[in-house]
Amino acid sequence: MIKFKLNGRDVSLDVPEDTPLLWALRDDLGLTGTKFGCGVGQCGACTVHVGGRATRSCITPVSAIEGAEVTTIEGLDPAGSHPVQEAWRDIQVPQCGYCQSGQIMQAASLLTDYPSPTDEEIDGVMGGSLCRCMTYIRIRKAIKQAAAVMQSKNSGETSNG
Amino acid sequence: MGRLERIAAEQDRAAGRGLSRRGFLSAAAGSALLFGFARETRASQLYPMGAPLPPEEFEPTIWCSVAPDGVVNVNIIRAEMGQHIGTALARIIADEMEADWDKVKITYVDTDPKWGLMVTGGSWSVWMTWDVFRQAGAAARTVLVEEGARLLGTSAEKCTARNGNVSDGTHSVSFGDIVAKAKPTRNFTPEQMKALPLKPASERRLVGKEVKALDIPSKTNGTAIYGIDAKIEGMVYGRPKMPPTRYGSKVISVDDSAAKKVRGYLRYVVLDDPSGTVPGWVVVLASSYPAAIRATDLLKVEWTPGKTAHVTEKDILDHGRQQIASREGGTMVFDDRGVDDAFRKAHRVIEREYTCASVMHYQLEPTNAIAMLKDGIWEMHCGNQWQSLFLPVIAKALAVPEARVKMMSYLLGGGFGRRLNGDYVVPAALTSKAIGGKPVKLILTRSDDMMFDSIRSPSVQTVRLALDEKNTLTGMQHHAAAGWPTEVMAAAFMQKGVDGKPYDQFAIAGADHWYDCGPVRVRALSNDLANATFRPGWLRSVSSGWTPWAAEQFWDEVAHELGKDPVELRLSMLNGNGQDGRNKGEAPDSTGGALRQAAVLKRLSEKAEWGKALPKDTGLGIATTFGQERGMPTWTAGAVRVRVDRATGVVTCEKIWLVLDAGTVVDPDGAMAQTEGGALWGLSMALCEGSEIVDGVCKDRNLDTYTPLRIADVPEMDIEFVESTEKPMGLGEPGVTTIGAAIGNAIFNAVGVRMRHQPVRPEDVLAALKEKSSV
Amino acid sequence: MIKRILAVIAGVAIVGGGGFLWYAWYPALPKVAPPSPGQFSAAQIERGRIVAAESYCVECHTRQDLGGGPKLAGDYKMVSPFGAIYSSNITPDPETGIGNWSEEALRRALHYGVSRDGSHLLPAFVYDHFTKMTDADISDLYAWIMTQPAVHMTHRQNDFPLSVAPRIGLAGWKLLYFRPGVYQPDPKHDAMWNRGAYLAEGAAHCGACHTPRGLLGAEKVPGQAYDGGTVDGWIAPPLNDKNPTPVVWTEDELYDYLRNGVAPLHGPAGGPMSPVAHDFLATVPEADVHAIAHYFADIDRASQRVSGDKAALQRAREQSKRDLTGGNLLTDPDARLYQGACSACHYNAAPMPVLGRPELALNNALWLDEPTNLYLVMLRGLTAEEGQSGVAMPSFYNALSDHDMARIAAYLRRTRTTLPPWTDLDKKAAEARKLVEEPPVNSSH
Ligand code: FES
Ligand code: FES
Repeated sequence: MIKFKLNGRDVSLDVPEDTPLLWALRDDLGLTGTKFGCGVGQCGACTVHVGGRATRSCITPVSAIEGAEVTTIEGLDPAGSHPVQEAWRDIQVPQCGYCQSGQIMQAASLLTDYPSPTDEEIDGVMGGSLCRCMTYIRIRKAIKQAAAVMQSKNSGETSNG
Repeated sequence: MGRLERIAAEQDRAAGRGLSRRGFLSAAAGSALLFGFARETRASQLYPMGAPLPPEEFEPTIWCSVAPDGVVNVNIIRAEMGQHIGTALARIIADEMEADWDKVKITYVDTDPKWGLMVTGGSWSVWMTWDVFRQAGAAARTVLVEEGARLLGTSAEKCTARNGNVSDGTHSVSFGDIVAKAKPTRNFTPEQMKALPLKPASERRLVGKEVKALDIPSKTNGTAIYGIDAKIEGMVYGRPKMPPTRYGSKVISVDDSAAKKVRGYLRYVVLDDPSGTVPGWVVVLASSYPAAIRATDLLKVEWTPGKTAHVTEKDILDHGRQQIASREGGTMVFDDRGVDDAFRKAHRVIEREYTCASVMHYQLEPTNAIAMLKDGIWEMHCGNQWQSLFLPVIAKALAVPEARVKMMSYLLGGGFGRRLNGDYVVPAALTSKAIGGKPVKLILTRSDDMMFDSIRSPSVQTVRLALDEKNTLTGMQHHAAAGWPTEVMAAAFMQKGVDGKPYDQFAIAGADHWYDCGPVRVRALSNDLANATFRPGWLRSVSSGWTPWAAEQFWDEVAHELGKDPVELRLSMLNGNGQDGRNKGEAPDSTGGALRQAAVLKRLSEKAEWGKALPKDTGLGIATTFGQERGMPTWTAGAVRVRVDRATGVVTCEKIWLVLDAGTVVDPDGAMAQTEGGALWGLSMALCEGSEIVDGVCKDRNLDTYTPLRIADVPEMDIEFVESTEKPMGLGEPGVTTIGAAIGNAIFNAVGVRMRHQPVRPEDVLAALKEKSSV
Repeated sequence: MIKRILAVIAGVAIVGGGGFLWYAWYPALPKVAPPSPGQFSAAQIERGRIVAAESYCVECHTRQDLGGGPKLAGDYKMVSPFGAIYSSNITPDPETGIGNWSEEALRRALHYGVSRDGSHLLPAFVYDHFTKMTDADISDLYAWIMTQPAVHMTHRQNDFPLSVAPRIGLAGWKLLYFRPGVYQPDPKHDAMWNRGAYLAEGAAHCGACHTPRGLLGAEKVPGQAYDGGTVDGWIAPPLNDKNPTPVVWTEDELYDYLRNGVAPLHGPAGGPMSPVAHDFLATVPEADVHAIAHYFADIDRASQRVSGDKAALQRAREQSKRDLTGGNLLTDPDARLYQGACSACHYNAAPMPVLGRPELALNNALWLDEPTNLYLVMLRGLTAEEGQSGVAMPSFYNALSDHDMARIAAYLRRTRTTLPPWTDLDKKAAEARKLVEEPPVNSSH
């Protein structure tokens, strides 16, 4: 029995320890927003947050996340309105959309480390997230827009005391 | 939701089946609910099975309906795979009928004969749907105006429809109220529809205007449902064990003693496939997908492999070379009078050979399908691009009449032509059959998927030009040998050449150019060794992704040989002339002909500042084509600026420019997105991708060795569409077409070496540089 | 932790044999009635808990395979060349544990490596370190052990019999290598240093893993103290100034690492080091962990070497960005593989590495003589309980072939360090894979 927190709720799972988190999420917990792309940690489609850090769920066994906090695209924001998601819709990033849960999760994690990322930082961190529809130009643009929104929100909060 | 679906749903309800028939969607949503993540789907789009029952609606045609609450439903028969096709198509109907865009919803329908040909490919969707949907919109508008006028107590001539209302200038009534009160029932036959008056281009209010794509919100919050997300109560999971060759492998023995130790392993099934689609496949069944993965790894199968077990990429290319060298064989696409004469009399002949490597789809969602028998009907749940093509194949595999097979459409996690080939549905169907029709969800792992990908065939092309003493162009030939996807999978769709022989238009399109360069011969050759070794696929822009690699580099080579400017040379040939007036163009699809291609090329050379001096080892390259097919040309000109590092041979693409004339652009942002993606595919295939056939199968199995373009490789881009009110052409693929050749030309302009094999690898550039300096 | 390696010593001793009966003979100490828990004060029990934690008793006296076992009840499996041996039950159970041991028996075991019945204990029980413990600490430890739940459990049969002869062999080994004696403070150093030294040399037995061992398995002290060793197939890096990381282990870095399992400039604790931090040092007084860090910052001469850190950091930052943009991605397929598989997490930009994005250019594993640790982390990944808490690294066991791992290792070594390339990388990848008994994750490929 593996116990962890999923999108803020306690869950326990009775699956073999070596089950990849990806399939536990998709098939046992019914959260299909996280996608299967390469299965080898090299496309980013399966990216979720573990302890706030972008993590490839396809090669992470559930035994490795015992007690951890896991966030999927479904739980990134209760209303689906994380600034990254807003920017994604505004700039119309997705094409087929299959990679986009992973891209969004990776981007959200990027912005916590680099609140106003340069192109180089975006390329460095997003380089592991393949988009076969090649929406890359818009991904860059949307990350910058989300960063700007988050920055102005933060500075707004501080100035309001 | 169309009437048929509604009736079916009503029957379900009457029979107390409730939501079971829609189990796959509610199951997914249901478990999400359990955890409290369910949210409203923002996208206003529905799948047939998950949709709530609609109220009685007005359905003037099968394509759209208006409900008493004013909601306009548009039925979409095309697959959604990133092109936001539902949004684009719904815009056409909504514009013509003057609907309120905020009240439009779209429904992806399942396969029903009434929809006619269901295919999503070739960048055809908008082009094919444009006339029908405008007529359907006109039909709806006509009735709504008539009925609205009656409700307003006036005559139809005095009324206009606008934004979901009918008005006589003083009073107005909404579409919804018209349906609720007047209960119109009139509907139209296709002939009646064709007779209806259509709005002039100047009256368009939605087409060509910015719009938010309806499918996007659900793709940002995890609620979008792709084929791989589908769920059916009681389903088991399957993974295939791949035989050693694509064709001809026979199972000798199977040993599952090791597989049995996997918790959740159920059994294996040796497929018996009357359709010949998946010979020698064995499917492993388990209660979870990870169990299926492991058990398949542990299952031991012995096969006798097919005849192609040792074929290599080089064998295939060499075979193509031999075919071209022989004067026999192939199909003449053009075979102008006087071409042989021109070459016989030529003062000089320029001849070059160009090759392209295998390219893999790597659509991000691996192929998968659920198959089950439900109330006597075989249901296939999956994403697919060409339902009409594979329904009969599945029926044959199952040995049932076609009417007993149905496909339910889901979102596609990338198409790019991979899912025009529905081969992956067959093993799911056969496995379900083997266990009495119980639902089976078959998923290929990435390496399974890639091993037998329907690759873009490797190709060989030879281009020749005849010149007289004055260097006047007197004749031209283009020969191309490659695997033929259409011959292998859809032979009935092949076109006939001028010699009456069939040929795969998707293995030669792009070579049948619009230049006036004397009599032309274009010969297409089916590489039978390729066809026997793998299943050639349609891959984004198909042959138009590789024929320009030869054709458009060739014209640059000719220009340099003759001391002419490559752009000037092309413009001089894009004059609208050609044997029998071939290049004048034909309404409505190619109105204007070659002159429109000349126009985009001119505009591009201005934008990219053709002729301007550039830094050392940096070059600009230009190419131009006509998008997808001669019959539906999207006039395209592309330029790239590259920098070549002489020390490493690395070619860096710094910027891409594209100018396209696709006629009317229905959804400008969607068109832009498609073109951006297409251009980067072109770049990726030219510099980053390329695989190889080794021992009869694709060598690359995953991203450790197959290396498509990633974000760090992306250059600056400047894309422009020519304003036009002509009939819309396709935009899914033309972005791809010019990039490869433009890169080849740019490399030459930067460092003076000519690369004739795609992809261009740094070591090849280095070798070419070395050879050049030693001369 | 020391774990399996010391079982090797047992094997050596068995083969070595030898008769030192006069030296080898110890009397049995009388059995006592199990002490009643009430006889120890709560304060003493708490002090004993800390001593136990600083000695990692639970780690080697609790079964870990077969889904784990009851705490302190033994049956922890150690593999030696002669087969597996199993640790003993040290719960207060009188029959199968040490319930009828007197405090003196415990003290004799720790100080001299002799069991209550007079037989010699295998040096897998590191009495060469425990001998340095004070009587007071042992007394507290006794109080804690005797108040833990008694578990009636015998360990599995050892693969080879520990009969009298090998025990005598052990006596010979002791004669050669074992120097009993409680830790003596060094007056040249302050109290904090001495506290750190007392713990590190004694209860915490750091040298058991981090000091190389000779042919007969004894630590090569004092000559090569803390020069680095091996444990469970992992390399235990040098703790002195031979430690090769480009940024030195300062007292702060050491403290973070020992206390939280992760050091911002060095990365997370993986493998056998992980429980040392998370299960033990996280539960003892901060001052003790500071003292250990203080001691090792002196051993590795951090203050003399720290001046190079700024440049090393700067260099690492440059290297971290390498190949993630631009041309090398096209010339170097290994760079591309690294980009796809690793860079999304192991990427850092100015001004400092982000905690939880371990900077590989600074990481121990890349600077060691062999790629073993790098490979083991790739293969096993890190669970949310290891390394930095709550964060996990996936397991690339099924995701990267031996050759893929070799490519990444070679690439990192040549682009992120200034050291000569590793050799035989494919072969070593296969060997590392064999050390991982079961694939940690059932993924596809
Ligand atoms: S599916 Fe996990 S990284 Fe590709
Ligand atoms: S949007 Fe299709 S793969 Fe990224």
